[in-house]
Amino acid sequence: MEAVVITGVGMISPVGTGKENFWKGLIEGQDGIEEITAFDTAPFRSKKGGLVKGFNPKAFIPSLKIRRLDRASQFAIAASRMALEDAGLTIGENIIPERTGIILGSGFCGVVNSEAFHRGQVLRGPGDLNPILFPNTVPNAAASNVAIELGIKGPNSTVVQSFCTAEAAFLFACQQLIAQKADIMVTGGVDELSTILYRGWNELRLTAWDKGEGEKSAPYDLTRNGFIPGEGAGIMILEQRNNALRRKARIYAQVRACTTTGGATQPEKKVAHSIASALKRGGMQTVDFIDGAGNSSPRLDTVEAEGLRLAIPPHVRDIPISSIKSMLGEGIASGGIRLAADLLIMEQGVIPPTINYEYPDPLCSLRIVREEFKTTVRTILHTGISLDGTYMAILLGRTDGVS
Amino acid sequence: MTSLYKGKVMRDNKGAVITGMGVICATGNNATEFLASLEEGKRGITEISLFDCSGYASQMAAQIKGYDPLDFFDKKELRRLSRVDQFVLIAAQEAFDDAGVRNTTVNGEHIGVCLGVGAGGMLSAEGYHRQLLNGKRPRPSLLLPFVPSYATDQLAEKFGLQGPRTTITTACSSSATSLAYGAELILLGEAEVMVCGGGEALSELTFGGFCSLQVMDPFPCRPFDARRQGLSLGEGAAVLILEEKERALGRGAHIYGELLGYSIGGEAFHITAPEETGKEEARIMREALQDAGIRPQEVDYINAHGTGTILNDQVETLAIKAVWGEEAYQTPVSSTKSMIGHCLGAAGGLEAAASLLAMQHQLIAPTAGFERGDEVCDLDYVPQAREDEVAIVLSNSFAFGGNCTTLIFGKENL
Repeated sequence: MEAVVITGVGMISPVGTGKENFWKGLIEGQDGIEEITAFDTAPFRSKKGGLVKGFNPKAFIPSLKIRRLDRASQFAIAASRMALEDAGLTIGENIIPERTGIILGSGFCGVVNSEAFHRGQVLRGPGDLNPILFPNTVPNAAASNVAIELGIKGPNSTVVQSFCTAEAAFLFACQQLIAQKADIMVTGGVDELSTILYRGWNELRLTAWDKGEGEKSAPYDLTRNGFIPGEGAGIMILEQRNNALRRKARIYAQVRACTTTGGATQPEKKVAHSIASALKRGGMQTVDFIDGAGNSSPRLDTVEAEGLRLAIPPHVRDIPISSIKSMLGEGIASGGIRLAADLLIMEQGVIPPTINYEYPDPLCSLRIVREEFKTTVRTILHTGISLDGTYMAILLGRTDGVS
Repeated sequence: MTSLYKGKVMRDNKGAVITGMGVICATGNNATEFLASLEEGKRGITEISLFDCSGYASQMAAQIKGYDPLDFFDKKELRRLSRVDQFVLIAAQEAFDDAGVRNTTVNGEHIGVCLGVGAGGMLSAEGYHRQLLNGKRPRPSLLLPFVPSYATDQLAEKFGLQGPRTTITTACSSSATSLAYGAELILLGEAEVMVCGGGEALSELTFGGFCSLQVMDPFPCRPFDARRQGLSLGEGAAVLILEEKERALGRGAHIYGELLGYSIGGEAFHITAPEETGKEEARIMREALQDAGIRPQEVDYINAHGTGTILNDQVETLAIKAVWGEEAYQTPVSSTKSMIGHCLGAAGGLEAAASLLAMQHQLIAPTAGFERGDEVCDLDYVPQAREDEVAIVLSNSFAFGGNCTTLIFGKENL
């Protein structure tokens, strides 16, 4: 795994688009979550979402093409362009299209089109179907549209794995590099929040709502009662280490380990197992920062905290942990934006806050960061948790010997 | 697998072999019936009874008929299982029984699962959506199977698998890619056993969708035939147990074949149409052959994507000609979609099963219903099942978005 390094990032998020805006939003503790006006939330218990605001696709995509691309594809193209530019790469110029791949995690991409197409079927019948919609109902439309737009011809895939969707795509991409199937891999996650998806999360009673304390994303807080659905895209450029060194690329981090454990029963132990295996593989006892998967769900945050305590017993209370989902909300592929954030945290040496953390939950008693602070961050543990039975741990480390 | 590029990687010392198979589709409820149907050239494409499709350009699909879920699951289980999840679990049970890896020395920890799905739980979600649009209050649990990883999680939980979990969602190439990635996880030492393949259930959305694109044949599809008018959809599941080669040999397991190489390239051309000269598909087949260390001439049988659409069959044929040259005419090419329809998310897995059965039984499945080709489609499309030496098979799966997967199976050195 150490042959894989990360040399570029790009993101579209509720707290800002692009590296500078996003970073500023994160360390200022900007709340990207607000009352939804883009669609009617009257039928639902929840009212808020982490929607991307002020996104201008024209800055990234030729105008004529924009209208043929759904929002998820637009996010993916824009973030991928930013990430490649950040890495100093131009496909066809300094990288070979066939040796460049893309594997994205798809957070219900295409569902908007499925809903619209099926609505037509139900309400208007088979005689009047819109053929433009159907091809973009597939979850792989976003990655494919990026490949088409940017000319990526290497390994191409799309992954969904519940709330570990982006982490699973990241692992797949790493392994295509290790198997030497490509020199460069574009990876990450894309989420699109739509009214039908918002309905689904509400129907399944998973979202936060105002029980008197307000509707908020409050990871690890005693008053948390669900997550806030969010959207956006976080894309990374993975590269073979030798390739990056040869072209003197700026290296954000190397992937020290990426592990996965399965099983819905005894989730705390499985979380611990994924983390302990990652630390073991990375040859490490502890880390400088934990990017937590805590998403303000009553159970998930507790499971994560207990898993961390089991995996890193003597050190865990010394390690700062933050969940930026407090500002962004949750999408099943939001691990992409989080990974992008991890690289900036490492580069800038500043740990962003977990906002809305007011009443500590004794079951989540970790060193939760309330205010941003400067420190040296050489290593980061990124956790991914799906209580449906997937647990992932990604260990990132600096390569420039900063200590 | 041999790498084109120098460098010592662990994968060169390992192999991924298939030791278990489970199948359910329109022409067979298990692998044995499936094999018999391939031999017979049995066509499972008939009028759909699963939902009303009067008014559409076609009423045909390879639906699994005479299926009663209560034969396999109790009512309580069924509340949380959509049709595709049921198919996947049925095929998985058969595959585990066949491989005999359950309750052996393998620790569940080392068994992972990587499935490919297409529309997933769409049929259930459609039920929800239809009721909603009709002003009713649908049952929220109908939405549970909608996340594409649902079937993967159901399978993993039922069999207690604690290894890596991933769900591939690249439409028609999903389950082919699941095999490629499953094999890679074994070659890189991330798992000893991977449960791969995929499932698909017919749904009104995909049915109407393909109709809206005017690529649905009103008759049962006729891949590569001059009269072809489009595809026929199908449904089912195929689950294959992939295992590290030494481990399988060590326990004396029955081995169907080895996944020798693959490519999961992208065409980067168009969201639905293939690059029309076939050069991208040809490139991807070449990449897979190189990965396997196999020369085109060594391939005994090509299990084609062969959907039956005018464009697909033409471009795939051109691509085969580009890779094989004159040898293309001596290489049997067939499409099992002529019998089981296009099973989208399950297609690659079912075709991998057909490819492995071809090696095991020296039997090339036919392109059923094929009578005569056209100016471009003039290869040997195997109108009837044929007994022949089959040691190496190439299987293609091409998808929306230009997600092209080619798998190479072999049975040498086993």
